[in-house]
Amino acid sequence: MSLENRFDQEYDAVLHLLDRQVLDKDGLFVCKVDDLELTETEHGLTATALLAGSPALLPRVSGPAGRVAQEFWGKMGDEQADRRLPYRIDFALVEELTSAVTLTVTRHKVLVRAPDPEERDDEEPVRRRLGTLLRFPVLDASGRTEGKVLDVRLDEEHRLTSLRIGKGSIASNLGYDRNEKQGPALVRAFVRWLHRHQQEVAIQDATIDWEDRVVRIRGDRTRTQSTPA
Amino acid sequence: MKRLLSVALGVLTAIGGFVDIGDLVTNAEVGSRFGLSLAWVTVIGVVGICVFSEMSGRIAAVSGRATFDLVRERLGPGMGMVNLLGSMAVTLLTFVAEIGGVSLAFQLITGVDYLLLFPVVGVLVWVILWRAKFSHIENVFGMLGLGLLVFVVALFHLGPDWSQLGHSALSFHPTRDESWATWAYYGVALFGAAMTPYEVFFFSSGGVEEKWGPKDVSVMRTNVFLGFPLGGLLSVAIAACAYLVYYPLQASVDTLGQVGLPIALALGKIGLAIALLGFVAATFGAACETGLSTGYSIAQYFGWQWGKFVRTDVAARFHLVILLATVLAMGVLATQVDPVMVTEASVVFSAVALPLTYFPILVVANDPDYMGERVNGRVTNALGTVFLIVVTVAAVAALPLMVWTRMGA
Repeated sequence: MSLENRFDQEYDAVLHLLDRQVLDKDGLFVCKVDDLELTETEHGLTATALLAGSPALLPRVSGPAGRVAQEFWGKMGDEQADRRLPYRIDFALVEELTSAVTLTVTRHKVLVRAPDPEERDDEEPVRRRLGTLLRFPVLDASGRTEGKVLDVRLDEEHRLTSLRIGKGSIASNLGYDRNEKQGPALVRAFVRWLHRHQQEVAIQDATIDWEDRVVRIRGDRTRTQSTPA
Repeated sequence: MKRLLSVALGVLTAIGGFVDIGDLVTNAEVGSRFGLSLAWVTVIGVVGICVFSEMSGRIAAVSGRATFDLVRERLGPGMGMVNLLGSMAVTLLTFVAEIGGVSLAFQLITGVDYLLLFPVVGVLVWVILWRAKFSHIENVFGMLGLGLLVFVVALFHLGPDWSQLGHSALSFHPTRDESWATWAYYGVALFGAAMTPYEVFFFSSGGVEEKWGPKDVSVMRTNVFLGFPLGGLLSVAIAACAYLVYYPLQASVDTLGQVGLPIALALGKIGLAIALLGFVAATFGAACETGLSTGYSIAQYFGWQWGKFVRTDVAARFHLVILLATVLAMGVLATQVDPVMVTEASVVFSAVALPLTYFPILVVANDPDYMGERVNGRVTNALGTVFLIVVTVAAVAALPLMVWTRMGA
């Protein structure tokens, strides 16, 4: 395929990676990128694995429908210890990202359940999910809400470098906010108007509070407004 | 030479594949009641399906991604699921209509009641989807569907007053005592018949099945830009035949047999036999395409292996979805619901569901991340924007018109 490998440069996790098809090295289909595992390392939050399966997908569906589906999924196999654990594909097995994610191995036995967070000992790094972060409200220094995390930018080493914050999530994943040339002009103008208040905040200027489930951003930061249309 | 042959095969397949039970019934109904005063809708619908198919075919060729991959990637899992449910409901309705249509066509041939025939047809469709090669399904039914060209021959044989036909085609208003609302309702129905969503699910997934690459884009375009307009011409011929035979009698078309009657009047038994063969092929081919489309779309949303290019056990869940869809469709037909009525409903709901998949395709066809340098050009985007508005207007208008006119009664 002539498309270039996205992992050679920095990329936006939601726009470029989330929900993409995963192919094995023979081109057979494996799963979707239902969610992304973020690990707390000494370099900050780093994407370490693709998560797949209903336990990864259903929590990303917002509202009562998502909650009901998640509960139902668990109850359907209440006796299974790993029922609520998603499958995990380590980034070590990932070859490249183009219009799909390609693995370095065949699909035979490639999906292994992620470790149970309840059985984690203190030595192990803390693992989070991108889908969880995307639901947190963002507050500024005075406690006013600034919107939601719509996307996160990762560098070539998959380290989280900045957060994209905006008011509404409708049409936030079409690419128009990040590509000023993408047509057609009418759709571009409308989507860019819809997302005119988007801002990108460097991770150094933000604190992710996983307990209170909010993101706090510093008041004195320099705003990087998205470029006007 | 071989290349030319494959292009010709593709074009012929597109002509035969364009017409399905929705086009047959809707065109004949509209022709009998409104003459050719809605032929312009077919023209718009054909241009629309060309734009839509070209974009999704190009995306499939360049990026290897089919419709519901893109729907979920651009709209996310929640909106993507709503989209999937809506599109699958309409596709299942169409699937029911097509299986019912095949059964009705067999009833015309054998005289056996279609209620005894549909279980056989349903099982046959499933066996073909399970065992037959993809290219055979597409080409065999597409070619046999060319039997419908007898409608064009019959039109000449009926010896119409061409100036009167031309006048009807240029009179953009309801005929006789029909109301504007009914006229508009049938306009939306014709539009839905020409631009049925499953056609695009099938077309883009078929591109992946046949392993199209960027070099295949020109062949794909030839098929679309020649095949679909010629298929549209066939649709207009069906409407014109119905107009010539039924309009003077103030009779309307309610059954598949009545769709074929003008052929019998113009060309006798042989003509009718060819037309019936065309009915069977066109509806059977479309039944296979809609059945496959349910499997394609659901598997693409969840990331399962799909396609006829792998062994059936490798794509087990894909084939399970197709099996369940076939059982469900047969269950609906077992309620003795009139397949012609299901068809009428399916084309209108097609118009409702169209923007759900049209919009994400239009967006991705412009995204250099997927398309590299093969993003939409100015002309395609101008047409793409116009049709974004057209499909949205048709979708919004469809249900109010349906209620208001009591399904065009």
